Amino acid sequence: MQFAKTIKFGADGRGTARIGSLLAIGALLFAASTSNGYAQEIDSATKAHAQRLAIGVCGSCHGSEGRSQIPKYPRLAGQNAKYLAAQLRAFKGQTRGDPDAVGYMWGMAGNLDEPVIDALGEYYAAQRPAPGIPGNPTLVAQGQQIYQSGVPDKGVPACASCHGPDAHGTAEFPRLAGQHSQYLIKQLSSFSNNMRNQPVMHVVAQDLSQAQLKAVAEFLQAQP
Amino acid sequence: MSGFRIDVRLTSLATLGALAIYLAGSTAAWAVPSFARQTGMACEACHTVYPELTHFGRAFKANGYVLDNLKQLRDVDARKQELLELSQMPPLSIMVQASYTQLSKSLPDLSQAGVNGLAQNGTAELPQQLSLFYAGKIAPHLGGFIQLTYANDSGTFSIDNTDLRYANMKVLPNEHSLVYGVSLNNNPTVQDLYNSTPAFGFPYAASNAAVSPLAGTQIDGALAQNVAGLTAYLWWNESLYAEFGVYRSAVQGATNSITGAAGPLDGTTSNVISGTAPYWRVAYEYNRGPHSIELGAYGLDVGLYPGGTPSSPQPLSGPDNHFSDVAGDLQYQYLGDQHLVSVAATYIDETMHLDASYAAGAVQQSHNDLKTWRVATTYYYRRMIGGTLGFFSTTGSTDAGLYPSCPAPTEGSPPCAGVVTSANNRPETKGWIAEVNYLPWLNTKFSVQYTKYNDFNGGGNNYDGAGRSASDNNTLYFLIWFSY
Repeated sequence: MQFAKTIKFGADGRGTARIGSLLAIGALLFAASTSNGYAQEIDSATKAHAQRLAIGVCGSCHGSEGRSQIPKYPRLAGQNAKYLAAQLRAFKGQTRGDPDAVGYMWGMAGNLDEPVIDALGEYYAAQRPAPGIPGNPTLVAQGQQIYQSGVPDKGVPACASCHGPDAHGTAEFPRLAGQHSQYLIKQLSSFSNNMRNQPVMHVVAQDLSQAQLKAVAEFLQAQP
Repeated sequence: MSGFRIDVRLTSLATLGALAIYLAGSTAAWAVPSFARQTGMACEACHTVYPELTHFGRAFKANGYVLDNLKQLRDVDARKQELLELSQMPPLSIMVQASYTQLSKSLPDLSQAGVNGLAQNGTAELPQQLSLFYAGKIAPHLGGFIQLTYANDSGTFSIDNTDLRYANMKVLPNEHSLVYGVSLNNNPTVQDLYNSTPAFGFPYAASNAAVSPLAGTQIDGALAQNVAGLTAYLWWNESLYAEFGVYRSAVQGATNSITGAAGPLDGTTSNVISGTAPYWRVAYEYNRGPHSIELGAYGLDVGLYPGGTPSSPQPLSGPDNHFSDVAGDLQYQYLGDQHLVSVAATYIDETMHLDASYAAGAVQQSHNDLKTWRVATTYYYRRMIGGTLGFFSTTGSTDAGLYPSCPAPTEGSPPCAGVVTSANNRPETKGWIAEVNYLPWLNTKFSVQYTKYNDFNGGGNNYDGAGRSASDNNTLYFLIWFSY
């Protein structure tokens, strides 16, 4: 397994200039990582097969229609299709290396056909997202501050600048609203230790303290 | 703690039979790496720690063991109907258990009649058990779990737990799933999804060199590997489960006395099911956060002709011995990333109408009953180190035929060895099992298990009428268990 090398910034890389650089690089990297060459129309048989897979196989962990009740497994309902398809390709290609990806998803996605991957992305994107789960108000408020404004003195940009003001994501960036905080914290840890290969998120996660990670995750889990 | 049989003529034979069946039923099974190779997923997807299933493991089993992520060798006809779907890797596994068993007090040495002595204490078994499995997909909706086991005590290979199943899934209009399937299996509850029922319940491995109690209900392993059952099941939304089926005798090693062929069974075979035995099961599972809870009930209604042996046949006709088993079960699981907790409990109530044995004078009363409780709580840290504390209890009515005491001494005959007798003709067996496990890898387990008996075959001190105490049967058991 190959992990990406950490992006190194110079001593003067903190502050506003660094935030701008991160955002620009992030946009480029996410666009590259989530683009694919399988944008053609998905036929009805493939859609039906994907629906069957989603309900009969994926649903055992990710919940009925992708609204997982188990915090270990991410909620997929309402997630953007391109992001989901990119993750399935990363599992299939064994390039996403966080522990649950290796233990569960490498095998699960290993035999998925390319059109089915796209159809699964579209299936989940079309599902009604799960409602947020209310959290500790103090933590939620702290998390909201970080999400909306970042941590300027650490050079951490506002999460909202990529993931959207309502955390619903965009065509390229994943939806985070309503996601299980346990899952979010694990992903941020995996970005931080490079088990999940995403250079921009690596830098962001590395610069946040455990308390800040928890606050952001708590805020996001509570969002509708 | 399972397995007794009734023989209308020779209660000592019944005792030996019970012991043999207990030992056969106690062979462990089960999580097999061929499933992991087939799905490409690590053991932890389907198991907390093998063999206990997670929700995903239950779904994999209910769906017929067919989920695969391997390249397939395929064939289709002109209508795109699948004719063949073979994994390029056969789903084969091997399991080895090696053990050492130490009783609190060794057993009497019967090798020389009339000589007071004790057998060597401490039984080393390498292997205690070696199993070969075909476990995985056979065809698109057909899968199997077939276990062939060499056991140290028998010194032979024989068929062990087997579960062949067809399963399919329908997407309902509200996007809920309905899994439906059929299981052909050889042990009631081996097909079940929960670890609170007997076949895959705690203890997952037990010594076959320890002393087994006389009493156990039919559904608790007494019929294992000597029946064939066909059951159909539904699993709605992966939460509500219902199953119904029937079992019929399929005795291993039995031959027809005229043709020498495998059947039909005749009076030279003992404990043959009269017709078919209905089995039923309902369960409801609720998952919320890291918590999963299941509440269920199951049962078996079986009539057994006592039958006989080649040297002492008895016709398979007339009254039978009827056993009605009704059971409840509960399973709770907490699945965190670091900490895993499970609780599994079952209560089995057996009502016996032993008309055949009563008519033959082999039991004191035609109506008897047994009640078995088992509760086990398990904790694991990071699936690596953990343990289980379990309580077991079997109680029931008194009967000198079912739970015989030592025969009256006669001139010139050796003293009664006891051990598998009951001085008060009662079945009470109660105690605790404590187990500590270490798994350096997910497919390798080192265990130390201690079984403590408060009562055994009806009592504590001198339970057998030959001076042995229940605590003498306390068992220390070391086990190395790995699968590949």
